[in-house]
Amino acid sequence: MAAISVDSEQFSQMLAGEKPLLVDFWAPWCVHCRALQAAFDKAAEENEDSVLAVKINIDEEMELTNAEGIEVIPTLVLYKNGKRAASVVNPGSKAAIDAFLQDALGR
Amino acid sequence: MKVYDMLIVGGGPGGYTAALYAARAGLSVLVLEKLSAGGQMALSERIENYPGFPEGIDGYTLAEQMQAQAERFGAQTELAEVLALDLRANPKIVETSEGTFYGRTVVYAAGAEPRQLGLPMEQALVGRGVSYCAACDGAFYRGKTVAVVGGGDSAAAEAMHLLPVAKKVILIHRRDTLRATKVYHAALTQAENLEFRWNSAVTELIYDGRLTGLRLKNTVTGEESSVSCDGVFISVGREPATALVSSQLSLDKGGYIVAGESTRTEIPGVYAVGDVRSKPLRQVVTAVADGAAAVHSAQSFLAGLENTDCLPE
Repeated sequence: MAAISVDSEQFSQMLAGEKPLLVDFWAPWCVHCRALQAAFDKAAEENEDSVLAVKINIDEEMELTNAEGIEVIPTLVLYKNGKRAASVVNPGSKAAIDAFLQDALGR
Repeated sequence: MKVYDMLIVGGGPGGYTAALYAARAGLSVLVLEKLSAGGQMALSERIENYPGFPEGIDGYTLAEQMQAQAERFGAQTELAEVLALDLRANPKIVETSEGTFYGRTVVYAAGAEPRQLGLPMEQALVGRGVSYCAACDGAFYRGKTVAVVGGGDSAAAEAMHLLPVAKKVILIHRRDTLRATKVYHAALTQAENLEFRWNSAVTELIYDGRLTGLRLKNTVTGEESSVSCDGVFISVGREPATALVSSQLSLDKGGYIVAGESTRTEIPGVYAVGDVRSKPLRQVVTAVADGAAAVHSAQSFLAGLENTDCLPE
């Protein structure tokens, strides 16, 4: 299943959940963000038992983006227990997303 | 063990054209792509020199359509990063992040990437002032001020491309003279809207939402300065993705695989397609041509008709 887009309110709710939260900070004008889409969705699908994957459009959620200190996109952030655990900027392959998740989830 | 008739390394325009032709010819074919269809093309905001799209088309959409077209005829895609290849094995072996795949033939279409300056925000500003291709993005800078970084033939060609479009072109080069072929020198030095910044290296991209200027350092005196510009075209060379095959295939001095128009390499059943191949012009149209040629060659090979002793032309 493709990762869903969420706003800051939904983000806060999901952050409080038990499952680790994987967020793709992106924007429609960002060509690298678009190129990442298929690989992100595939990685999200393969890891759906252990991670909740969502996307946040930084143009629509500027305040949240600033609060989370996102300065470069695409940035993937993994939150565990409501806290930012790890992040990666513009992973260049699906394999790079997988490696990031493996590492961040401590598997 | 599943053995494909054709494994294609790289899902750019060359790779998916080979996939389309192979699938339509009834071959079983798998495309191994590390990130997304299109490769470099997917990062182009607008492609205006690919025939059939009078209003142009963005590279990402064109790539999606090429993938869909190939898959309609039965081609498959695996989002896998290739880690190693054994091209002389029978069948040929491709090891990837998603497992090992076997093919009777391999089309190597891994593409090339523009060399980067390696500055902070360089990737994030692509599409917001940072570009690696004047032919792709130059038209967006009509009447604006743009910088070109580099001093070789490709940088000179980028500047030539931008001169009729931009209000002003600033050519930034680390040395005090161009490495570019002499034919460019006169044209560039005579251009009224071209300004040279010799002995200068870019040390920082200045931005405010999008690129607004560059911070420069003089490579001789160490003096720092800055220039305002709406865009920067970085042309400091390209790097073909041929490292994985460099011990098995002959490369030219630029690192490109030596193969002629048939795309046949020195290893029977292995074809070099698109930007990895040694050739004079690297465009979407020449990549797709390679893809078709590779399948034509591969069909002969699979039918046992290709002279396996022949050298690449």
